Amino acid sequence: MKMTKLYSCLIFIFTLVVWEMVVRVKEISKIILPAPTAIAANLIQHFQSGYFYPHILTTTIEVLGGFFAGAIVGIGLGFLVAQSKTTQEILQPYIIASQAMPKLALAPLLVLWFGFGYTPKIVIVALVCFFPLFESTVTGLSHVSREKLALFRSLKASRSQTLLKLRLPTAMPYIFSGLRVAVVLSVVGAVISEFIGANKGLGALIIASQGMLDTTLMFSVFILLTVKGMILYQSIHWIEVIFFKKYHYSRGDLK
Amino acid sequence: MTIIACHDIALQFKKDSLPVLEHVDLEVQEGEFVSIIGKSGSGKTTLLQMIGGLLSPSKGSIHLLNQEITEPIDEVTYVFQKPVLLEWRTVLENVLMPLELKKRVTQEDRDKAKKVLAAVGLENQEGKYPHELSGGMMSRVTLARAFISEPKILLMDEPFSALDAMTKEQLQFELLLLTKQFSATTVFITHDITEAAFLSDRVILLGNTPANVVQEFAIPFSKPRSKELKFDPSFTEVVRELYQSIEALGDRSK
Repeated sequence: MKMTKLYSCLIFIFTLVVWEMVVRVKEISKIILPAPTAIAANLIQHFQSGYFYPHILTTTIEVLGGFFAGAIVGIGLGFLVAQSKTTQEILQPYIIASQAMPKLALAPLLVLWFGFGYTPKIVIVALVCFFPLFESTVTGLSHVSREKLALFRSLKASRSQTLLKLRLPTAMPYIFSGLRVAVVLSVVGAVISEFIGANKGLGALIIASQGMLDTTLMFSVFILLTVKGMILYQSIHWIEVIFFKKYHYSRGDLK
Repeated sequence: MTIIACHDIALQFKKDSLPVLEHVDLEVQEGEFVSIIGKSGSGKTTLLQMIGGLLSPSKGSIHLLNQEITEPIDEVTYVFQKPVLLEWRTVLENVLMPLELKKRVTQEDRDKAKKVLAAVGLENQEGKYPHELSGGMMSRVTLARAFISEPKILLMDEPFSALDAMTKEQLQFELLLLTKQFSATTVFITHDITEAAFLSDRVILLGNTPANVVQEFAIPFSKPRSKELKFDPSFTEVVRELYQSIEALGDRSK
């Protein structure tokens, strides 16, 4: 286990060293490809000046706001649809249609409707998060073995008892994998929606740095976005490990 | 007192297909242990599910404790072929399940669950999760879960079929003690004729297509029975008799 971690670190360091060397030896312009050391210096400088913080905050608000809204609607609708075949059949075409339509293409329209504030971005992020959560909730709630359903029937469990004590616990790992997918997608959603029209946020910063031909800054933002995505993904993972581990019996690797 | 009474029941899954069961009559007396044997596909499980109220017969009636059965009732506990446990619950929480679905679980219930667990040989294992248990231990948990609600009637569908021979023998022996202790009337399905003979007061042979009761055997050995009984020549004779009756059915029921 420790050896594998060492190797992944080595790959990282090796890549950085090669990158740095190529940039220096070939004298590549920093507008095309800035050196890792230059990016690091840029990151440190902007953190020290406090330049990044309002942008990080803005994107975080959009990501979390949209993520929670999308999660609530996705999981909620998932519950509703999993309840009965009828609701499933009625709603299914609309839900698939809503997913087939590229949601990011809606961004210009949402800007038109809601202006340039937080609202259109949160709506986009929510739309992006919705589907993986809806899908995983429906799958999870319907993936109960027939034996367990027969057991609950023989014990005369009511519909709500079967839902709460059997279907929901079975769905837990599915919902969490949906959350992990959704949280990473929500960063993508927030950035793209900022491309369309925003003066704050990490996506807006990418557009600004493009305008200023400040490629180094752009790379710094890439790194911030990657780290943000990883932190969010890991937070979901830790929430699951700490509070919901017992529902994850089938995966021994969850430690 | 007659606890289970099936009168002329038939079951047909589809209108134009052959019935699975037809003209089945079966009565079980209070405290009796009855096994149903028969080849696979002979409708044993179907019959048991009907008695448990999980399936409705197309014809005829089933009375348990003098009431007609249309759905599962509280006095009956059904034990499934595979040990069906909820993986996210500890042994104790699994055993408490039937009570939890009826009412708020009290400390008293927990103590009782621990007692029942001890009776099936699972002292101090109540905090474990199902994936930490062996197949035999899982079966023991399902037994404990079956007995916690002190069922008047216990319906068991090949509960030991997936176990190794040693564990199976031990659990058969313990099941006899438990049914005695909780005075549960038991209907037990098995394809293991030695098991049927060892456990039962009476063995019912199901056969033919559509299936009905072909033959009944009273098992003459008094209870409590010792494990040694299986080596007794008179016991072997009973097993042989059962075996020959099944063989005599030929392949028609396949």
